Amino acid sequence: MPSMKSLPVIQDEPRAPGHRSLWQSVEELEARAAVSRGEFAAGAAEVPPELSRRSFMQILGASAALGGLAACQPPREKIVPFVHEPPEDRPGKRFHYATALSFDGYATGLLVGAADGRPVKVEGNPAHPASLGASSTWEQGALLDLYDPERARGIWRKGQPLSWRGFLAEIQQLAKVHDADGGARLAFLLAPDASPTQADLLRRIQARFPKARFHAWAPITEENAAEGARIAFGRPLDARPSLDAARAILSLDADFLSGHGESLRLTREFARHREPGAGMNRLYVAEPAMSLTGANADHRFRMRGTEVASFARAVAVKLGVVPIAPALSPELALAAKAVAADLSANRGRSLVLAGARQPPAVHALAHAMNAALGNVGVTVTYSRPVLGEAAPSAASLPALAKEIQAGKVDTLVITAWNPAHAAPAGLDFGALLAKVPNAVYHSIREDETSRRCSWRVAASHPFESWGDGRSRGGVASLVQPLIAPLYESVSTIDLLASFLGQGDRGAMQHVKAYWMARSAIDPAFFEPQWERWLRQGVVPGTAEASETALVDVAAVASSLGRLSLPKGDGVELAFAPSYGLFDGRFGTNAWLQELPDPITKVSWDNAAYLSEATAKRLGVADGQVATLALGNRSVQAPLKVMPGHADDAVTLALGYGRSDGSAVSKGVGVDAYPLRDAGAWFAPGLSVKAGKGKHKFAIAQGHFGMEGRPLALDFTSEKWGHAEGGGELEHLRGMPATLQVPVDYSKQEYSWGMSVDLSRCTGCNGCVIACQEENNIATVGKEQVAKGRIMHWIRTDRYFSGPAADPETITQPVMCQQCETAPCEYVCPVNATVHSEEGLNEMVYNRCVGTRYCSNNCPYKVRRFNFLNWRPEVPNVQTLLFNPDVTVRSRGVMEKCTYCVQRIEGARIDARAGGKKIGFVQTACQQACPAEAIVFGNLNDPQSRVRKLHDDARRYDLLHELGTRPRTAYLVKIRNPNPELA
Amino acid sequence: MSAIFKPSANFFARFSLVLVATVLGGGLLGLWGYFRTPYAQGLQEEIAQPILFDHRHHVVDDLIDCRYCHFNAERGASAGIPSTEMCLNCHAQIWNKSPKLEPVRRSYFTGAPIEWNRVHQLPDFTYFNHSIHVSKGIGCVSCHGRIDQMPAVTKVASLQMSWCLECHRNPAPNLRPRDQITSMTWQPPDDPAAAKTLAADLMKTYDVHSRVSCTTCHR
Repeated sequence: MPSMKSLPVIQDEPRAPGHRSLWQSVEELEARAAVSRGEFAAGAAEVPPELSRRSFMQILGASAALGGLAACQPPREKIVPFVHEPPEDRPGKRFHYATALSFDGYATGLLVGAADGRPVKVEGNPAHPASLGASSTWEQGALLDLYDPERARGIWRKGQPLSWRGFLAEIQQLAKVHDADGGARLAFLLAPDASPTQADLLRRIQARFPKARFHAWAPITEENAAEGARIAFGRPLDARPSLDAARAILSLDADFLSGHGESLRLTREFARHREPGAGMNRLYVAEPAMSLTGANADHRFRMRGTEVASFARAVAVKLGVVPIAPALSPELALAAKAVAADLSANRGRSLVLAGARQPPAVHALAHAMNAALGNVGVTVTYSRPVLGEAAPSAASLPALAKEIQAGKVDTLVITAWNPAHAAPAGLDFGALLAKVPNAVYHSIREDETSRRCSWRVAASHPFESWGDGRSRGGVASLVQPLIAPLYESVSTIDLLASFLGQGDRGAMQHVKAYWMARSAIDPAFFEPQWERWLRQGVVPGTAEASETALVDVAAVASSLGRLSLPKGDGVELAFAPSYGLFDGRFGTNAWLQELPDPITKVSWDNAAYLSEATAKRLGVADGQVATLALGNRSVQAPLKVMPGHADDAVTLALGYGRSDGSAVSKGVGVDAYPLRDAGAWFAPGLSVKAGKGKHKFAIAQGHFGMEGRPLALDFTSEKWGHAEGGGELEHLRGMPATLQVPVDYSKQEYSWGMSVDLSRCTGCNGCVIACQEENNIATVGKEQVAKGRIMHWIRTDRYFSGPAADPETITQPVMCQQCETAPCEYVCPVNATVHSEEGLNEMVYNRCVGTRYCSNNCPYKVRRFNFLNWRPEVPNVQTLLFNPDVTVRSRGVMEKCTYCVQRIEGARIDARAGGKKIGFVQTACQQACPAEAIVFGNLNDPQSRVRKLHDDARRYDLLHELGTRPRTAYLVKIRNPNPELA
Repeated sequence: MSAIFKPSANFFARFSLVLVATVLGGGLLGLWGYFRTPYAQGLQEEIAQPILFDHRHHVVDDLIDCRYCHFNAERGASAGIPSTEMCLNCHAQIWNKSPKLEPVRRSYFTGAPIEWNRVHQLPDFTYFNHSIHVSKGIGCVSCHGRIDQMPAVTKVASLQMSWCLECHRNPAPNLRPRDQITSMTWQPPDDPAAAKTLAADLMKTYDVHSRVSCTTCHR
């Protein structure tokens, strides 16, 4: 095999002028000079170990013997119609219902698509302020959780099953016992939830049991922000940023483009102002590990998590908010000066954001800076806290533990997620639970906590239950079920109501009664209102009004004075929520486990991230398994060098290393909780000792190396002005030199095309999961991902440029480019991939014989092959998940993106059956994208947005020189660096 | 030394070559022919159903339109199979004591659905949509045959891809006015010229396209 380096096209450095060479990973950077890696990922050509030669021969023989039978007629199917047809029934038609999904307390409005009564696709609700029509990986992933065959079912007490009636009777008995002492021995450990109905129920429970204790708890809290507001304003207030008007944004370790609550809205507002021109914003990020927000920064300052406070203070000093500048390195001092100058230059149009991990003083300082910059009311508003009493507190678990230890708790009702697993280090909460006579654990899955609780109550999925919720900012939404509970299970509202003797009333009645009482509408007229709220997915008039708040600068300054700054040069451990599993609650979700981390592209794993310099200083190497020790606590974790990580710091993502849960979550990654104190984010004095083993990561990037071609292009806003005039992209678009006689598509009524704006894309991966859900894409597991067999039809490539220690990042979603002269089509011996008259590169699964020539000839490497039958035995319940409009592929078949052709054809049929033209079609990735980076439509319609974007000055074609004439156009990323920091 | 093979061996050698070719060729031809037989295509095969439902009676004697029971044919992908409740719309009043309708009543009162045997079965990778065909002027009879003459519903069209493509390549001869969609007896005008004019007219009025891209049916 000739070395890849000998091919001149590949060898060429980027031809776009002014471009630095791109590299994708540390491995690649090191391997640049080394010999080529070979054609296949290691082991990709081998039969998996589960399939021995002997069993292979057996299968071969069996399939030959059974081959003749296959020609017979398929078994006759049954048609099972309804007995009583629901009036709205339209077999095969997709209905969307508005509902909401609460995540750590805050709701995001959704439209969930149901086909024949089963939810099959999650979309954002355009009418909901936290969604605006977009959805994140977590909302999409919720659907897989619904159909998880390993969900908890039934109600159990000490290993004995209980009926719902039996349970209610038992709770009635318990409640009577607690009535005697006013609930002094009754405690609740609740998951944070802004649900008004739930709050109302809790108030009523409190009234019945005045001495009962209510603790809200979650592994990840925002107490620092609440405390920061209390310092600055003297009362707790929620800060609501608005990026529409912001021109200069400083993020102090705030990963506002991911996470929960409002990241979808903030991503949209951020992305809308990333196009070149006067309105373009500029983002500064100070943080330890590279976050999604850091990857999108125009200037990223890497520093240890505890040093962010000093940096913030240095900026504040330049802004004249506080006196006394802290000691900073010369580069950071220079940066702080430039940032402060830019913020003041954009008075009233700037914004300072502090992250949840930062101490309260930094939050207070951010409020003070915003006030000093005149941003309040423009880029940030304040309102009463939405969660209020329901806000989780890290201290609540140790407090509860003390009560249990003192024997003061007889009945403990837990709706919080898995406290036995995620409890702070040193607090053996699981063992304590065994001491509580009646520990009632309400959870959707059996996990570490349910094993230790005497009562287990299976929780209904949000798509199965009635409820309500509130977004950040307070807008309320009703939660309506899309399907009857798949297993015997109970909603939170039903569970809480059982303590009021109303468990058999039904959650819907509770929600309805609450809103009827609250709306003060005549009950006779309430029903139409209720129907309207259900249909729209939001309850009008529920948003929190913004309040005027004055910053107490003296209090801010004194809180800063009390802040202890890091001493010495020890290594600091930082905890971070994981991009896939958050705090671990998505550990059983195979989609989110397999989803590569947006920065490191590690799938099915977490790792201790550190910078190259730190690794060198500590004498450890990438991939080595090391012992991370904090005092006498330690965990074994594999190390991964992360470009752009702060020196003398290690970041470990939470949520992995479960000892229980399901086959998906068990033993994946490293559990960080044994190192973590209650609510701690940064811990000094970490010792890192290299161990013996070498860890094998499944990284979804090595096999996508694009070998130094001009792929993901970026310009600075300054250079772009010259490039645009100079026609620097001309050679990357338009008709390439080719021997092909091009087909003329201009006469067609429809000619489908797509555009991807790299300026807007943040790399959040929302499109990846949306595509997986829409197109019935299989997950393959860690071992197969490592072999390069990940099945995602759309992937987000991530490139680094510049120095490895402090690189610039660019993300690029790549899906099938629907080439007009598609290289895959020429080589298919069975015509399984052909072109439609509307320009789609079609994939005909039933023709495919699996030669893989097409994938071999695809320069974009977007074709995915079913090397094995990824779904040999789909549990019955998971077949409900499949999108009925897309074929489920089996082994030996090639598959790929077809611009969601099922949506195009569905829209065509709906339109043409009514004698109309196809109107608005969205692909799944486009619909999910919060940044509006992906646009799809008809290129032959001069009014369409995609046509305009194809004609945009920033447009270029991926691998244009190959003459493939892709239908997907990319728009170059524009960076907006501060000239002072250049 | 005498020859090992007699001259007659030449004949046997040639004959066996011809024989092998005939057997192989004939076999392939036989298979080719077999898959074109009504038997292999499952045509005219009367499939037993849990209830002795007779379309002849309901269509001819009672003059019930197809769309009364198959209510979704104009609106969705699937034409819809009537619910038990729909059967009882009439049979709660007439023949409500008939022992033959006992399974229907049982289904209604127990809530257990009736399990019909599928007659027209397409592979899972093929997506057929009734509404678009009906709205473009394809009659029920074009694919389902003379249901009004069937004691038990049988398949009359092979439903093989070549059969679909015949019409998808040239839909004009199979079009009819929309008000005749459910008619079992409508015929195009006898005069070929008039039939052609009508077909051309319908192609234009209903904006019918020939659609033969793979993804029209396979997604």
